[in-house]
Amino acid sequence: MITIVKESPKYMIGEVTITEANLSNSDEFKAELVKLLDEHQKVLILDLQELKYVDSAFLGALVSALKYAISLKLDIVLAGLRNDIRDLIKLIRLDKVFKIYNYAEEASFAVNKM
Amino acid sequence: MQSCACKVEFEFDNTADKLVSSLEYMLGQVKACLPKHANPDDILFRCKVIITELLTNAIKHAGKGNTRFDVEGDGAKLIIYKTDTGMPLYLVNTRNNAVPENNAENKRLISADPLSSLYANWESENHIRFTSEEGSLDDFLSVEQVAEHFGILIITNSSDEFTYTYNKKTRENIFRVRVDF
Repeated sequence: MITIVKESPKYMIGEVTITEANLSNSDEFKAELVKLLDEHQKVLILDLQELKYVDSAFLGALVSALKYAISLKLDIVLAGLRNDIRDLIKLIRLDKVFKIYNYAEEASFAVNKM
Repeated sequence: MQSCACKVEFEFDNTADKLVSSLEYMLGQVKACLPKHANPDDILFRCKVIITELLTNAIKHAGKGNTRFDVEGDGAKLIIYKTDTGMPLYLVNTRNNAVPENNAENKRLISADPLSSLYANWESENHIRFTSEEGSLDDFLSVEQVAEHFGILIITNSSDEFTYTYNKKTRENIFRVRVDF
């Protein structure tokens, strides 16, 4: 579901390989996020460019995983969102909670400057 | 204004693997309903998130059997109904009957975090209209405060009116969502 395509001392870029993220796979998705954070102990940049459909269950899993990341003094950063998914995130104001970038490389540049 | 009238019925079997195909089918029907003056990008985005959440709600709560979707459109608005006979919404029978109908006291906060507050407004005993307000980010201290359940909020924020009715006689749960063009 998530493939790590790049790692640096501060961050890892995880490409989300599914096109539909909804209540049928949200628990599994959250478990993968938690496992990646535990194993790598780095900021996770999630490249979501393949994702076409999401629902509230997926967004809930994402927020839950972000809480876990923050508890480890890490972060989950979002990149590559389709316009409609970005608009959905803005609709419920989760853009105030997640750092969002157009591209994963742009996100990695920002994380390196932190 | 172009006169446009459409009425579509759709049965959903409450299985997650048919969520996306059902969504795409219904969005296709919505697209065919749009009058020329409507902003298709805005309406289709709103309908996409609304229908997605109604389908997700059906999978989670409607139980066995089918959920019926009805889409009705005219030149001014689109109305999406979701009807099932699953368990009633947890808010049913929780209204304070001592308070008269349409009284401000029938507005109750049902969830809140620094980002948003969601309210249930009892318009009669088993008829609820949902509304939301943006929260103040001044109260934002930590991501721990952020809620993790967004389904009703997404529909409320995407629509011009979102109501739930429980029909005691037929035991039907009826969600009604209006999107103005």
